[in-house]
Amino acid sequence: MTNDSPVKAVSVTLVVALVCSIMVSTTHVLLEPVQQAYEQLDRNRHIVLAAGLAEPGDNLSDRAIVAGFTELQPVVVDLQAARSSDDMDSATFDQRAAAQDPELSVEIPREKDLAGLGRRSRFAPAYFYIRADRIERIVLPIHGKGMWSMIYGYLALGPDLNTITAVTFHEQGETPGVGDRFLDPAWRAQWNGKALYDESGTFRFGITAAQLDDVRERHEVDAITGATVTSDSLENLVRYWVGDHGFGPYLEYLRETNRQPDTAL
Amino acid sequence: MRSRDILFRPILDENPITLQILGICSALAITNSVLSALIMSLALTAVLVFSNTAVSLIRHHLPSSVRLIVQVTFVASAVIVVDEILRAYAPEVSRTLTVYVGLIVTNCIVLARAETFAMNNSVGRSILDALGNGLGYSIILVIVSVIRELFGTGSVLGIKVLPLATDGGWFQPPALMLLPASAFFIIAAIIWSIRSWNGSQIEETEFRPLDLYEEDR
Amino acid sequence: MNDLLTIFVRSIFVENLALAFFLGMCTFLAVSKQIRTAIGLGVAMIVVLTVTVPANNLIYTYMLREGALDWAGFGHLDLRYLGLISYIGVIAAIVQILEMLLNRYFPALYFALGVYLPLLTVNCAILGASLFMVQRDYGFVESVAFGAGVGTGWALAVVALAGLREKLRYADVPGGLRGLGITFIVAGLMSLAFMGLAGIQFQ
Repeated sequence: MTNDSPVKAVSVTLVVALVCSIMVSTTHVLLEPVQQAYEQLDRNRHIVLAAGLAEPGDNLSDRAIVAGFTELQPVVVDLQAARSSDDMDSATFDQRAAAQDPELSVEIPREKDLAGLGRRSRFAPAYFYIRADRIERIVLPIHGKGMWSMIYGYLALGPDLNTITAVTFHEQGETPGVGDRFLDPAWRAQWNGKALYDESGTFRFGITAAQLDDVRERHEVDAITGATVTSDSLENLVRYWVGDHGFGPYLEYLRETNRQPDTAL
Repeated sequence: MRSRDILFRPILDENPITLQILGICSALAITNSVLSALIMSLALTAVLVFSNTAVSLIRHHLPSSVRLIVQVTFVASAVIVVDEILRAYAPEVSRTLTVYVGLIVTNCIVLARAETFAMNNSVGRSILDALGNGLGYSIILVIVSVIRELFGTGSVLGIKVLPLATDGGWFQPPALMLLPASAFFIIAAIIWSIRSWNGSQIEETEFRPLDLYEEDR
Repeated sequence: MNDLLTIFVRSIFVENLALAFFLGMCTFLAVSKQIRTAIGLGVAMIVVLTVTVPANNLIYTYMLREGALDWAGFGHLDLRYLGLISYIGVIAAIVQILEMLLNRYFPALYFALGVYLPLLTVNCAILGASLFMVQRDYGFVESVAFGAGVGTGWALAVVALAGLREKLRYADVPGGLRGLGITFIVAGLMSLAFMGLAGIQFQ
């Protein structure tokens, strides 16, 4: 059988395809559990960091992450009802999968869709850090369309449920070296202490290139040079998730009743 | 060619990036951090070794009609395996590299070496060639990324070297270094240095300006 | 419709594959010596991209993603890890078909492109465009707009670079920079220039 016969061509191709398929599939099946465990651990690390249970510079061991996470109280919030939901188990609830499921999600009206999501899950997890019977921190998952990718992060608010105490981002695909500079801890540190709403209840948080005077300093953050679209996207996704189509009503409820999550049924 | 030549020629004389114009895409986009550059170099070398070995092993039985697609299949499979391993054991870096690890499939170096070397040489020599080209590629990537990270952020591999002005020091990093375009300029500088030192790579000029003052002599 | 237009225009200027993401560099630098060849290559890129990105989108939607194989009764499978090899296979097949069509109906272009036509199979820009399409989760129609857009953007960049290089033939470039070196510098400057378009948005 010469090298140029069609039979040889087909058989070589089949053998190569078989060998490569086995190699690729075996690797994937073996490594998938490891990958998923890492993803979960990484998400929890960001939640723990956002909650202020560890310093940004700390190199957290896996055990430290698990230990930190157990100090938090997770709930699943029904965003429309503005209450925590008993139907969903926070340990197994997958917000991203729910957003695709027509039973568990709603379409966002165009004018309200600041984060460019299209659909959002009716439920969302939230993590409470309770100390001495009061809410010390609440960590909210936020996500939205950046310049060319979905950005996923966690926003942590202090006891007044209005002041930002930390923000972390764990998934994004913005321009390397330019847009993704919002990951830089120094830039994110600007967010600490900014108030989302002012005394009159107007949403004042912003990411801007303008000069910040004393009043704006309380609410606004300096934008990233050369990454205007990414900066604007971040501002919009925060505005959406703390607004009336996101966690807004739930935060309002918590503030008014001054309750803790396990009695907020 | 002696084994030593196979291994070391691709570093200077036949560097895949600066002479052969191969594998440039990744050299530009991911060199803003030395860690990314190192991981990328490792990934590329691993894929190169695998594909050169596989192609060399079956080179006598590969019909020309399916040659390219079989080579591409080997490369793609190797890249998928490397990508899975990276996502499992170095997930942070894997996320910064995003699509660029996948693009090793189309990295010109890999296919060029498979086609021009592994198809005509034994497995042993093909492996050496893979290591040599991987090394040549890695060196350029590391040089560019060290320059970009050092002058762009003041640190290398996260270790602070130059005190940043924002931290109270004197160093004001040129923002250009954080932009991918700086990689173009740095590689141009490297090419200039190599060709000034070793004149054999200088290209001929296509057009010689008129010598207008010849009459004056 | 506005969305499609945004995707199309942004892929040309803001998200230019060659100058913002540096994809397809090898051919970009090697074929940009003459405007005529650059235009031919650009046209080939537009055609290949407009066909492969939607084709790969179909493969992703109906075969690879989680639950994609529902129609065949295998809805529990998630075959996304096979993406790379599927997309490159589709690209290789489409380039091969394009080659045969060009050879038959546009022989002049076929000969002008020479060896660079089959090399389109391994052009990072073409694979990169499909990978970005998957990452950003575009639908089918969006994929068409995206493919056409990135193709046009890449073609624009390579023709522009060819134009600049043709002018540079009469310049007295220092020996060490001649050819490859000065091309890198010009490409770097073009990349910086295109960054100026980064803030453009359509309302």
